[in-house]
Amino acid sequence: MGSRALLLLKLPAPARPLSSFNNRKLSSASELLSRYNCYRTRRCFTKATYGSSLEPPNLPRLAETARISLTPDEVEEFAPKIRQVIDWFGQLQAVDLSSVDPAIRADTEGENLRDDIPQPYEKREAAVAAIPSYEEPYIKVPKVLNKE
Amino acid sequence: MLSTLQPPRSLSRFPFRLSSIKPRHITFAVSSSSSLPVATSAVTDQSLQSSQILTIRHSLLSRHLTATQLVESYLTRLRLTEPQLKCFLHISDNVLKQAQELDDKINKGEDVGPLAGVLVGVKDNICTSDMPSTGGSRILENYRAPYDATAVRRMKEKGAIVVGKTNLDEFGMGSTTEGSAFQVTSNPWDVSRVPGGSSGGSAAAVSARQCVVSLGSDTGGSVRQPASFCGVVGLKPTYGRVSRFGLMAYASSLDVIGCFGTSVADTGILLHAISGHDRYDATSSIREVPNFTPQFTSANLVESRPLKGLRVGIIRETLDDGVDNGVKSAISCAASHLEELGCTVTEVSLPSFSLGLPAYYILASSESSSNLSRYDGVRYGKQAVADELNMLYGDSRAQGFGPEVKMRILMGTYALSAGYYDAYYKRAQQVRTLIQKSFKAALDANDILISPAAPSAAYKIGEKKNDPLAMYAGDIMTVNVNLAGLPALVLPCGFVEEGPAGLPVGVQMIGAAFDEATLLKVGHIFEQTLQGFKFVPPMVADGAS
Repeated sequence: MGSRALLLLKLPAPARPLSSFNNRKLSSASELLSRYNCYRTRRCFTKATYGSSLEPPNLPRLAETARISLTPDEVEEFAPKIRQVIDWFGQLQAVDLSSVDPAIRADTEGENLRDDIPQPYEKREAAVAAIPSYEEPYIKVPKVLNKE
Repeated sequence: MLSTLQPPRSLSRFPFRLSSIKPRHITFAVSSSSSLPVATSAVTDQSLQSSQILTIRHSLLSRHLTATQLVESYLTRLRLTEPQLKCFLHISDNVLKQAQELDDKINKGEDVGPLAGVLVGVKDNICTSDMPSTGGSRILENYRAPYDATAVRRMKEKGAIVVGKTNLDEFGMGSTTEGSAFQVTSNPWDVSRVPGGSSGGSAAAVSARQCVVSLGSDTGGSVRQPASFCGVVGLKPTYGRVSRFGLMAYASSLDVIGCFGTSVADTGILLHAISGHDRYDATSSIREVPNFTPQFTSANLVESRPLKGLRVGIIRETLDDGVDNGVKSAISCAASHLEELGCTVTEVSLPSFSLGLPAYYILASSESSSNLSRYDGVRYGKQAVADELNMLYGDSRAQGFGPEVKMRILMGTYALSAGYYDAYYKRAQQVRTLIQKSFKAALDANDILISPAAPSAAYKIGEKKNDPLAMYAGDIMTVNVNLAGLPALVLPCGFVEEGPAGLPVGVQMIGAAFDEATLLKVGHIFEQTLQGFKFVPPMVADGAS
């Protein structure tokens, strides 16, 4: 009973004061949402969020790197949204992580790699059948050399 | 039309009283609905009544029902509800034939597998050799994989019948299923609302009883949030429990295949069927898969306090402002119910909780930019007409990918750019370490943790479509669990007063790595003893059939 009473007393929690976005830790869903709202209403991000060496996204260059041809309309539509999300990513710059090791994946189990021995793939023909343009034994593509 | 199964709304606001809880006799499952011929009375073990899989098995083997009759009843309901719901991208034309073959086997007295006659929906980013697998993307329109995913192969080997491929946000990137290139799926509780996502088709199909169970995938909550929105049980296994071979990769360090069902027991039985090491996935665990069946014991008396001594931590950061009041009430009722079952419930804090959301989106978009480079129009999928190779790549991808996928690839490309790796990807990995440590500490002090599965119940179609950060914020309850690789079970625990008949709310139970057994035990007892709610959408309860 005691813990239930505690729970009910604690809900709803008092609102926290809005702090500026570049502050340290966010500790709850509400802070996250309120900071998000702060972002939306005040556009309180500046280039400073990126730190000194990080440039904001250059969409045409990114699109070329990612090999996605964007129309001018798409560039116009995506640029503010991507910038908004990248700005939001920037909050991690403010967290002190200097003594923390990175985790490559969920640390639930070690590697279970099999021996590095080549094995023929038994469904090769089905895989080949999915190729849009195929001339035995080659996959056909347009010319590879470009103007550069 | 909607009168028969309206949820008792007042109940979601108050903690349950001991006196209101009586032994449970009727299950949530459709077997209690007149539209289904499944004979529940034939199952003698009361504790297993809620499992559709076990009920079907018993009905078939005791000859109360033929597989053909069973399949026809599901297909009839599917045909009636599908025009409104649009859960499936492809429906198998082979289902009746498989049922007839199963009937022949049973008639001859041959052995049948543990999933014999169980109709399964499979999320369309999980490969099947006998049906298209599009991942919800135009770039794979009409694509047919040369093999079955390991999870699908294992289900089929145990007798399951795949009904069809379910709708999803393109490649799993979204939280509403509006991001599918082909159609928008509706929530069976209110067709003007989203079913959640990205496994929205799989969740809605089980909720509408179009199939018995289904497979989804969960990179940041894509099984658990739609389970909550659709009022079904969703199980996200430990990372590595189920092989990812044949699951279209989105973020490989986070992706897992998960299960939907109308009962905890069904998701546990399905999980057992698909789990285990696979030589085609080096990250699949070599641990033995335990038999979960002993967890589904009879425990329908609250008075016996069947969970006595179990330590439950309620995550403080998940019940703060920004979470709907109806959701908070439902979760505090769930906590009270656990106390009545004998658990000790205390608050626990995960200090780095809110950092998980940006860290998750950095990792997921970065890994997706790498994983989705395989869709280049050369070896499979849509190929644009071009006279130069780079143009062929760029145009094939431009024509094949939808806007959300393009944006995530571009964000990931930015985060992985030379010189930026340390600022984004590496930092996100460091945050992942913090989150893993804080979960470990919380799970050393508690047997399970609980939280909402989402900050709200299902919202309207179109409501968050053009606001990426609003959409991402909805994933706050679930992404941390993927970063830590832990198992989590979402099961319906109450309703909020919205929509024509109330909207279901799910509670999330998080366990230690590879300890799905505890979650299934707690979830099963919780489900068996929760009184006063029926999680059957009106369109099914009223027999839209």
